[in-house]
Amino acid sequence: MTHKQLHKLATNWFKDQGWKPFAFQEETWNAFLEGKNGLLNAPTGSGKTYALWVAFVLDYIKNNPDYKTKHKPGLKAIWITPLRALSVEIAQAAQRFADGLDTQLTVGIRTGDTPQAERAKQKKKMPDLLVTTPESLQLLLTSKGYDKVFKNTTAIVIDEWHELLGSKRGVQVELGLSRLKTIAPQLRIWGVSATIGNLNQAREVLLGPESQAFKNSALIKANLGKTYKVESIIPETMEKFPWRGHMGLHLLEEVVPIINNSKTTLLFTNTRAQCELWFQKLMHKHPEFAGEMAMHHGSINKETRLWVEEAIRNESLKAVICTSSLDLGVDFAPVESIIQIGGPKGVARFLQRAGRSGHQPGKESVIYFLPTHAIELIEASALGKAAINQVVEDRIPYLLSFDVLIQYLTTLAVSDGFYPAEIYQEVKQTFCFQAMSDEQWRWILNFITKGSQSLQAYDEYKKIEIEEDGKFKVNSRSVAMRHRLQIGTIVGDAALQVKYLKGGYIGTVEEWFISKLKPGDVFTFAGRNLELYRIKGMQVLVKKAKTKKQARVVSWMGGRLTLSAQMSELLREELYSANLPLEEQTRELQALKDIFERQRVESIVPTDDQFLIETFKSREGYHHIFYPFEGRFVHEALGSLLAYRISLLSPITFSIAFNDYGFEILSDQQIDMQQVLDNDLFTSAYLFEDLQKSLNSTEMARRKFRDIAVISGMVFTGFPGKIIKNKHLQSNSQLLFEVFRDYEPENLLFQQAYRETFEHQLEEGRLRIALERIEQQEIVVKNCKKATPFSFPIITDRLREKLSSEKLEDRIKNMLKYLDKY
Amino acid sequence: MTQEISIQKNTFTMHPSGGMLWHEKRMLLIADVHLGKVSHFRKHGSAVPLRAVAANFDQLTRVADYYQAQSICFLGDLFHSSLNTEWKLFEKWVQSRDETLILIAGNHDIISPVKYDNLNIDIYSEFQSNGFLLTHHPEERKGFFNFCGHIHPGIRLGGIGRQVLKLSCFFKTENQLILPAFGTFTGNYYLEPQSGDQVFAITKNEVIPIQ
Repeated sequence: MTHKQLHKLATNWFKDQGWKPFAFQEETWNAFLEGKNGLLNAPTGSGKTYALWVAFVLDYIKNNPDYKTKHKPGLKAIWITPLRALSVEIAQAAQRFADGLDTQLTVGIRTGDTPQAERAKQKKKMPDLLVTTPESLQLLLTSKGYDKVFKNTTAIVIDEWHELLGSKRGVQVELGLSRLKTIAPQLRIWGVSATIGNLNQAREVLLGPESQAFKNSALIKANLGKTYKVESIIPETMEKFPWRGHMGLHLLEEVVPIINNSKTTLLFTNTRAQCELWFQKLMHKHPEFAGEMAMHHGSINKETRLWVEEAIRNESLKAVICTSSLDLGVDFAPVESIIQIGGPKGVARFLQRAGRSGHQPGKESVIYFLPTHAIELIEASALGKAAINQVVEDRIPYLLSFDVLIQYLTTLAVSDGFYPAEIYQEVKQTFCFQAMSDEQWRWILNFITKGSQSLQAYDEYKKIEIEEDGKFKVNSRSVAMRHRLQIGTIVGDAALQVKYLKGGYIGTVEEWFISKLKPGDVFTFAGRNLELYRIKGMQVLVKKAKTKKQARVVSWMGGRLTLSAQMSELLREELYSANLPLEEQTRELQALKDIFERQRVESIVPTDDQFLIETFKSREGYHHIFYPFEGRFVHEALGSLLAYRISLLSPITFSIAFNDYGFEILSDQQIDMQQVLDNDLFTSAYLFEDLQKSLNSTEMARRKFRDIAVISGMVFTGFPGKIIKNKHLQSNSQLLFEVFRDYEPENLLFQQAYRETFEHQLEEGRLRIALERIEQQEIVVKNCKKATPFSFPIITDRLREKLSSEKLEDRIKNMLKYLDKY
Repeated sequence: MTQEISIQKNTFTMHPSGGMLWHEKRMLLIADVHLGKVSHFRKHGSAVPLRAVAANFDQLTRVADYYQAQSICFLGDLFHSSLNTEWKLFEKWVQSRDETLILIAGNHDIISPVKYDNLNIDIYSEFQSNGFLLTHHPEERKGFFNFCGHIHPGIRLGGIGRQVLKLSCFFKTENQLILPAFGTFTGNYYLEPQSGDQVFAITKNEVIPIQ
C-alpha cells in the first residue's frame, strides 16, 4: 500500500468518528512511515495518542498486507506512561482504532496494578501493544530471556516525556532504551512532551546524543493556537487578607459563584492536605453541593479516582477539588472553569492547568487565580503576563545518576546476566552517562560485586557474582527477589493502606502522620471523618466516626515546589512596578496598596537597582532577612552560602528559613551587617568551593541521600502495601548517611548526594547569575523594630536549615543557659 | 570529659563512648554494641562501609584500655545477627583482653551460648548485686536500681534562634539508668525527660549533664 492509501485508511476512520485529523497528526504519521524517530510536542487532550498509535498501525499494515487474515502474536509496540491511572484510557483508545481497521492487533496493560495471573499470561503471550510504566518496563528486563520478548518490537512511545525528563525515572527510561536499541534492531523511538523550554534537548536525551536514532529524527509541534487569560480573585477589602498562610480558605466564598456559573469547575490545590481541607470546608459551608462535588488526589484509591474522572467526562459533577493528579492525561472536554488555589510556582504547570478548559482549538482558556496570602497577589500579576507571553521553563535532565545505573545493572544481572564490555558501550551512549569516566565505571563494577573497592578478609558481601566467563550474574534468589520488589525510583514515606474494619479500601496515608494518632482519634481523609481503630502491619483499620466535629486533616510530606527562573524574573519585575504611580500598576498590585504602605513605614519596596536586607530582634533571637526574589531553591543555597561565609568570621550558629521571595538567617547573636558588606560576602568568587563547604554543614545532601540509598538498593524498604518480613535488614538512610560520612566519604553514591544537591537543588548556574545581579545592586540595610509584611511569611516558616561554626560542646552549653525547662 | 554520678552510695563514671564504669565492682558496663550488623547487611547485598566494623572494635578497645576494669558486662544486643565473619574478629578481640566478660542476653543475641562458653563468656538473663539489677530491657523491680540498654536513648535540645540538636545520652530516672547504644551503626530513640529525670548527653569527647 502506498503512503497515500494508508493515509486514506486512517482519515476514513476519523471521518466515521466525526473527526478530522490535525496537521500535526498527519505529519507524525508521515515521519513514522519514513522510519524516523522523534519527539512530538503536543499538549494533553490534543489527540496525541492517535498521532502515534495510528502511525504504528499504518506501518504495520504496510508491512503486513494480509493483516486482516493473518496475525502473528508477539510484542510489537510499547507505550510508556508515567502514571498508571492513564493506562486504561490509552489502551481503550488504541484498541478502538485497531478494531476499527480490523487489524486483529491486541492491546494489554502491565503496571503495578496488573494481577499476577494476568502478568503470567502475558509472559506466555504478549499483546501486540503493551501499555506500561517505566518501572514495569524495567521489571520486564529482570525476566529470563527478555531479549526474545522484545526482538520484534518496532515502536516505543514515551508519553509525557517532559514529566519523566527532569526526574530519575527519565534516567531509568534512557537506560532501558539503550538496551532495547540493541535487542530490537527495528525499533523506532518516539516521545510526547508538553511545551517546555528545552524541547530540542528533550529529544536528544530521549534518543541519545549523537546517536543514529537522533540523526534520523524529527521534532513535530502541534500548533493549536491556544491563548490564555488569567483572572485574579481579589477580595473586596484587604483588611482580613493574611500576610501568610497557604490554605486560602478566607476566599472560599469567592469561588462559589464561579462554580455555580460553570458546568464543571476544577480547583487545583498545591498539596493533598490543602485539597482535603478545601473539600471539607466547601461541603461544610455549602451542603447544597453534596453529590455534585468530589475530590481527586494521588492517595485516594484508584476506583474512586476513576469514578471521578468518568463523572467529569459525563458532566455529572459541578466541581472537583484536585492536585497535580489531574495534570496529566485524561481528556476532559466538558471542563469549563479552572481555579488555581495558591501559587503554581511554574509557568508551564500553570498553563497546562489553564489548558484544561476551553478545549476546542482556538478557544481562549481562562484560569482563575486565588492567592492564599497578600504577597501572592504579586505572583498572580506576574502569571498574567507570563500567560500572555507564554514563557515556559526548562526541565533539567539528571547526569551521572549512579544509583539508577546500579539498579539497572542489577536488573540485567538478575535476568540473563551481562558482560560489562557490551553494556558499557550502550550505557555510554545515553545522555545521562555520556561523561562517565572509565574509573567511575570500574568503581561501579567493583561496588556491585565486592561492595567496596578492594577485597577484604572476613568480608561476606554478596550481590552480583562474576562467573568464570566474565558474566556478571545474580545467583542468589533472595537478592533477586528483593531487587524486583525494590525497582523504581520514586521514593516516598512508607505508605499505609486505610481500610474500613468491615472491608473497603479508602486510600493511603504516610506513616509519620498516622503514627501521631492513637486508637479512638478521629481524622478526616477522602472527605470522610474516620476513627482510628488500630494499625495492623501496613494497614490502618478505621471505622466511620460518629462525631461530625472538625477533625485532624490528613497531610502528606512531599517536596515543596520552587519558583522557576523565568517565573522569578517576572515576579521581580512585577514587584519593582509597585514603585510606579498607582494608575500604572496592575489590578493585583493596586489591591496591595495598603500592604506596600505598611512595608514602607519601616522599610522599602526595593527597585530594580536595590537589594533589600531587613533586621530586627524578637524573643526568638536576631532576625536578618534578605530579599533576592529568586525562588526557594536559590534562596536555600544563598542562605547557606551566606551563613557559611559569616560563620567563618566568628563562631556562630544559625537557622535558615526561605521562601520564594527571600531568606532569613536567625541567630542568638547579632550579625554585624557592615562586616558582611566590608568582607564582600555576596561575591561570586569561590562560589563552588564555599557552597561545597556550606553543604557539609547543612542537611541538604542528607535528604538527597535518602533516595539514592533506596534506588541503589542499599536500603530495603519493602514493597508498598506489603508487610516487611525482612525487618532485620531495615535501616534508615539517615544512619547510613552518617556511617558513610564517617567511614567512606569517597563513595561515589555518597558523593552523588552532594552533586545532586548542586545540580538540582541549588542550581549553581542560577545562583551565580543571582549573585552577579546582587553585586550590581545597591545594598539597603533597614533596621526595623518588628517584622514587616515582606518578612512575615518567611520568619514564620518552620522548615529550617541549620548551620554552625561553633563547637558542638559549646553549642550544648549555650543552649543549656537558656533552657529553663525541658 | 567523663562524668561521675553517685547512686545508692556507689560511684559510676560515664564515658563519651557510651560505656560506664562501676567503681565498687570495677566493672565496665556497655550496652547495645550490635556487632555483626554491618556484615549482616553486606551479606545481604547492602554495601555498608567495612571500616565501620573496625571502628566498633577500636572503640571497645579504647574504653576498655582507659578503665582497665576487672570485668566488662555487656547489657544485651552484643551481636546483632546470626553468626557471621565478625564473630571471628570478636574472638580475636576477646583473646586480647584480660577482663572477665559477661553478657546479659538481649533480644538480638541469638548466637548459641556454646560459642560464648568457648570464649569463657558467661551469659545471664539478668544480674543482681548490692541492690542493683542489670538487665537488657528496662525493668522496674521493688528494692532495685536498674541499669539497662535496649532503648538507644537520645535527646532533642532546643535553643534560642530555633536551634535544635539531637544527641545520644545516658537517661536516668529515679530507679533506672538507660545506657546509650555503643555501636557505630545503631540509631537513637528520642525520649522526653520528665521532671526529676537526669540526662547526660554524649558528644565525641564529652559527657555533658543537661539540666
